[in-house]
Amino acid sequence: MKLNFDTDKVSVTEFGVGLDEGDGQTFVSIPVDADVQAALREMVASTWHAMQRHDDGPTKYEPSEKHGGTEYLYLPLKDDLATVMQNLHNAANLPVNAGVLADPTAVFSYLARMTDDKGRRLTALRRATQFKGILKSKGRLVRMLDDSLRIVEDSVFKLDTDFDLLVDSANVHILRPSGFEFAGNLQDAILAAVPQNIGAVQRDLPFVDFSGIEEYASKHPRAARYLASIRSQKETKNIDKTALRALCKTNGVEVQVKNGKVTVADGHEMDFLEVLDRRRYQLELVKGSPERFRAGSRQRIGG
Amino acid sequence: MVQSRGSGRPEGLRAARLLMVLSSISPLFILWAIRGNKVIPDRYFIGFCALMVVLPNVFLWLRIRIAKRQEDKRELVVGKADDHRDHILVYLFAMLLPFYSEDLGSWRYLGSSLAALTFIVFLFWHLNLHYMNLVFAARGYRVFTIYPPADGNRLTGKASHALITRRVSLASGERIIAYRLSDTVYLEADQ
Repeated sequence: MKLNFDTDKVSVTEFGVGLDEGDGQTFVSIPVDADVQAALREMVASTWHAMQRHDDGPTKYEPSEKHGGTEYLYLPLKDDLATVMQNLHNAANLPVNAGVLADPTAVFSYLARMTDDKGRRLTALRRATQFKGILKSKGRLVRMLDDSLRIVEDSVFKLDTDFDLLVDSANVHILRPSGFEFAGNLQDAILAAVPQNIGAVQRDLPFVDFSGIEEYASKHPRAARYLASIRSQKETKNIDKTALRALCKTNGVEVQVKNGKVTVADGHEMDFLEVLDRRRYQLELVKGSPERFRAGSRQRIGG
Repeated sequence: MVQSRGSGRPEGLRAARLLMVLSSISPLFILWAIRGNKVIPDRYFIGFCALMVVLPNVFLWLRIRIAKRQEDKRELVVGKADDHRDHILVYLFAMLLPFYSEDLGSWRYLGSSLAALTFIVFLFWHLNLHYMNLVFAARGYRVFTIYPPADGNRLTGKASHALITRRVSLASGERIIAYRLSDTVYLEADQ
């Protein structure tokens, strides 16, 4: 996958921070000098290089997957789960507030916004863990001045070596899925999207009673993630009712048919969602000894 | 007039803005120096006027130079743009000419003129009118107030900015790369 931006021909580099201010996230721009801008461009370059080191190329981000610390994933910018990133990337004229770092407690991320010579925009974002971390060492940092060590009195912030994600005009390129989920406020977004996701899946599976699942998913983030993943894969169309019941039975998921609708028994909501998300399977390599498995991660192979 | 940030946060570069206001009223000191006055000997009065002309304009030149050297520029998206050539006229007729015609013939008149000028400077500084500058106008620049696009994005800035540019018009949706002279005043980078 290519980056829709030329990192070698950057004409503008802006720095900013994300603030968690109780009533929601805001982002402000902070003026920085040419050296900091160069460091930010280096971070973008090393993020892109780190992504290219993942030989198997980017796979699409799925909220139900358990991801590693660093993986190269992507998510189309138009995806519902990328709403925060889309808003940030498309935001015009971020307010300037050079004084915001005087009280950095509300800072949850920092970012770079760049424009290349063709006018294309790139947004890079990093969770502000190390960035603020060094503030705790205030009064313990020393530097060599003349021929002796002196305490550094100023507030010092630390830039990381790379960003968690890059956003171009088409995609969110994710290097650290946890950073994307944190900055994108994904947990809340996924929980809030439960009714819409249920509605979308219900249209494909009119023979399933989702009322119990909706209630369960609205309180359990993991179930809400499965639901978001099931919807985003768009593979619930044309599921056969008999085949679904048979798969549930094979995998020990209790379902009943009430008034012509498949109803999931209490306590089996997650199991049923795993079936729909293609995470439950059974093998019988030893004849007469069937084994059931749950896939923490799965990838389609072949057709 | 350029709107300050809606969040109530103070505008940055306060001293810089003050010197830019002084730079914008420097033509008045040229007129005063030419006229002279009866209470202060010319060599002191002209020296003072010269200082009030040179220092703020040197500062303005330095501010532009530093912004260019530090690459202190950003991309501004135009939602709506208002041409404010009329501001220069208002500035000329509302400030320069009345002050020029003031009688500076006694210590009392001189004091009252300086006090009135101080109020004007404060108002220019407070209302972010520091972009009004005859030097820019003489060099062919125009001043636009640009408003952010109404794109429904809650992260888009709400403040308007003054853009000093050689363009004669700005279209909605246009993206401009400009140097930051203050948080609300920008000078378009050479194309």
